[in-house]
Amino acid sequence: MAAYVIRRLAYGVGVVFGVLFLLFVLFFAVTEPDDIARKALGDKAPPEVLEIWKQNHGYDRPLWPWQDWGDNLLFDHYRKMLSFDFGLSDADDSPILDRIRAGMGPSLSLTVPLLVLSLVVAIPLSLVVAFFRETYIDRMGVFLCVLAMSVSTLLYIIGAQFLIGKLLRWYPISGFDSSLAMLPRFLALPLIVGVVSGLGSDVRFYRTVFLEESSRDFVRTARAKGAGESRIMLGHVLRNAMIPILTRVVLAIPFLFMGSILIESFFGIPGLGSMTVDAIQANDFSTLRTMVYIGSLLFVLGQVATDLSYGLVDPRVRFE
Amino acid sequence: MERGDVAGTKGRGRRRTRVLVALVVLATLYAAGCSNDPYPPEAPGEKVLYGAFEEAPRSLDPATAYDTRAHAITGAVYATLLEYHFLKRPLELMPSLAVAMPEERALADGRVVYRFELRRDLLFADDACFELGGAGRRTREILAADVAFQIARLADPKVGSPVVEPFSHIEGFSDFAAALAARRESDAAFAARPVHEQYAAVGGIRGARTPSSHVLEIVLDKPYPQILYWLAMEFSTPVPWEAIAFYDGAEGRPRFDDHPVGAGPFVLSVYDKQARYTLVPNRNWHGLRHPEWQAPGTVYPSEGEPGDREAGLLEDAGRPLPFLDRVEVRRDKESIPRFNKFLQGYYDASGIIKESFDKVMQGDALSPEMQAMGIELGKAVSPDFFYLGFNMDDAVVGRAGGERSRKLRQAMSLVLDTEEFLRVFLNGRGLPAQSPVPPGIYGYEEDYRNPYRQVDLERARALMIEAGYPGGIDPRTGEALKLTFDSYNTSAQGLTQTRFYTHAWQQLGIDVQIDATNYNQFQEKLRNGAYQVFESGWVADYPDPENFLFLVWGEMGQSKSGGPNYANFADPRFDRLFLSMKTRENGPRRLAEIREMKEILARERPWIELFHREDYALYHGWVKNVKPMGLSMPTYQYRDVDVELRARRRHEWNRPVTWPAWVLLGAGIAILVPGIRTWRRERQ
Repeated sequence: MAAYVIRRLAYGVGVVFGVLFLLFVLFFAVTEPDDIARKALGDKAPPEVLEIWKQNHGYDRPLWPWQDWGDNLLFDHYRKMLSFDFGLSDADDSPILDRIRAGMGPSLSLTVPLLVLSLVVAIPLSLVVAFFRETYIDRMGVFLCVLAMSVSTLLYIIGAQFLIGKLLRWYPISGFDSSLAMLPRFLALPLIVGVVSGLGSDVRFYRTVFLEESSRDFVRTARAKGAGESRIMLGHVLRNAMIPILTRVVLAIPFLFMGSILIESFFGIPGLGSMTVDAIQANDFSTLRTMVYIGSLLFVLGQVATDLSYGLVDPRVRFE
Repeated sequence: MERGDVAGTKGRGRRRTRVLVALVVLATLYAAGCSNDPYPPEAPGEKVLYGAFEEAPRSLDPATAYDTRAHAITGAVYATLLEYHFLKRPLELMPSLAVAMPEERALADGRVVYRFELRRDLLFADDACFELGGAGRRTREILAADVAFQIARLADPKVGSPVVEPFSHIEGFSDFAAALAARRESDAAFAARPVHEQYAAVGGIRGARTPSSHVLEIVLDKPYPQILYWLAMEFSTPVPWEAIAFYDGAEGRPRFDDHPVGAGPFVLSVYDKQARYTLVPNRNWHGLRHPEWQAPGTVYPSEGEPGDREAGLLEDAGRPLPFLDRVEVRRDKESIPRFNKFLQGYYDASGIIKESFDKVMQGDALSPEMQAMGIELGKAVSPDFFYLGFNMDDAVVGRAGGERSRKLRQAMSLVLDTEEFLRVFLNGRGLPAQSPVPPGIYGYEEDYRNPYRQVDLERARALMIEAGYPGGIDPRTGEALKLTFDSYNTSAQGLTQTRFYTHAWQQLGIDVQIDATNYNQFQEKLRNGAYQVFESGWVADYPDPENFLFLVWGEMGQSKSGGPNYANFADPRFDRLFLSMKTRENGPRRLAEIREMKEILARERPWIELFHREDYALYHGWVKNVKPMGLSMPTYQYRDVDVELRARRRHEWNRPVTWPAWVLLGAGIAILVPGIRTWRRERQ
């Protein structure tokens, strides 16, 4: 197993290096250090101030190694990321690590309940739809799922803000307050949107998994022995469908820390997703690369953790 | 199935049903108990002004903060030697921390001295940084040296202030910057010392001297009366050295960029850049500590301009400031939710978003719906100026072409319909510009009509013939005259706007190609002089015509000095008038000079004046004392709110509209009923 983990981590290092390189190339293909400085300082900043800013942030150096092997932005980019020296934001010079710490709380306060609620709603619904396969419930369920999947998340957000925030006036249209008294009020609408917008794909996925398990021999055997349908679905089908469910959940867990880009931005939740959007809009390369780097690391770790978790739920799985 | 099994199954079923019912009841209670009010309850009688911001400012350091987002905070937290009168227009300076307006003394060698006397017993806001000056200290008196220290910070190359140029009129300003940089480079131990010690070791700025603890003398190399406007901006606010030394971002301390320490009417009590900020009155502010002074800017003014009394702007005359107990500003990045919360009464003011413009406005006035809500519209023409320019160094459109090129420029100017442009692209929010001087700035004349900014196609065609381009045909090639429009706006909207201009010139037969590049490439073109026609704009730093007319002063030529005169316009008469007007007090002679300069610009056409933007702001009826300043000046200390009216309105405006929920519920039931029937049938 150790060899397997080491091999997977080695692949992961390659992926992370590639992601960092792609980010660097793509970012500097569309922008220049002058643009970053101008975005940070404003259009009225005189050229000498822009130069000072570039010197202070290290953007006065050449981009590529062949321009200066000893001192270039690409090598510096790798050195900083690999040593976890995230430095200061290009947009406002605040320490990026502090911003990540501050943003993680709001992100987790949204994404953790969102994951749990999505599972709590989607799995029972999928079981019901799978249980009544080839009936009105199944057909209508699949139709609604496809319909739900076809609608953009943006539309859910705008629709929910209009219906629940503007007409029904149950919750604030947007905003955030981390105090315990106010937090549920601000999270309710984003959670509703998050659960509903993901319901279509979740239910379809779990339904497929449950249907596949339902056609297995052990289900037929249980049925032949007179076990009730509820017991079959909950005790046999659900338990044996745990591997794909677990894969989905474990893969999602690392990204809980990254927040939800769309929901956070539109509901004004000051989490890491919102911070990433801000970094893109502000040409804030140092923040953006940190978020992409952390995202790719979490992805690699999530993959390895998923593989390892298979062994925990299914002793038949062997790592070779 | 055994009887026990059946009973057990029924029992489990009942339990599940109970749990389900309990969950539904809980969810319903939770929903019913909730409200869309985004704020915790206020204390009884507390006057809170609610606002929103889209993005946090980059820095609150008064040496570098140079945008409206930052000024919304720094303008409330920092006090300056001078400030603007809240009601008088054109804007008028008055003393603030200074006892009186400064004495001006011209020296024999051409230098000018401004002498400021600071009020006694002014204190900085309470702050932990003052412990550096003695254990247990929370504040200290403001001295003239604190203003001199801040001016030295402006010169400090490490600070990177964007306003070095205007302050470099102060004697010794540039020498100080050079000496500081040289010492830092040559002596690492010196560079590691606290900055106030470094400044003192270098000797400070010669022209920012403090003959006594409460007197500051600013010595200028040559006359530059506009310096007074800069001394009314937060750039020159007194800053305690303790704050710079203490708030360095080390050991968990915030940076000075995020932790202002000032002497203004408010202090920043909460600052979460990603979510919110809160301003509360500064109990050390001289207006609160010494109400008996009745100092300007600490009591509500009792005089303004005509119409202010009728508008209710003098009702609070003589009352001590500030009126608010708190200013609460929340981050709301997206414009639509932000505007909806304004309509629900949760923000006290708002701009008009383009998605709702037709709903809000009908012609020039508010729609009946908005009027019924008691919303008021504040209109203010911004002190800015947008224009198209010709590169006067260019062989075809510039001065080398002489009379021929002048007539070409005049003709091109005559076919651009700015009113149409404003209607199409800015919802009519702008004023067609006749000259670079916008309303509210001395030298603006409402009746003035630029002879080449009235749309007249026939006259333009005649001028094209006189210029030697009949029907737009270039006699050298026998084809349409080809020009290039250089733009740095590559967005779809930007290109559409640019096409508006080029289509207008097509009426004259001129073929203008658009060359849109990014900003850096555009700057490169400017440096190389490789451009013909371009688009640009300018927003005033201070309310003086000099701040607009210097854009065509020969010395500011891009090709000559790299200055913002991108048109490279140079006219000896204009330059002489500019230098004379620049140092002259407002009066008939100055006005005559400005008029002549406008005439030269109208005739020579280095620019095609486009428009001055018009800002529309919406305020709820419970917000009092709103008068736009034009410049970026927060006026929280003058604002007042009727909290009872706001509470009533919020209650009225936030009654749930439930019919969509019933429609959705009906649709849900219609889908569920066959499902339940199927469920029951299948279970049987």
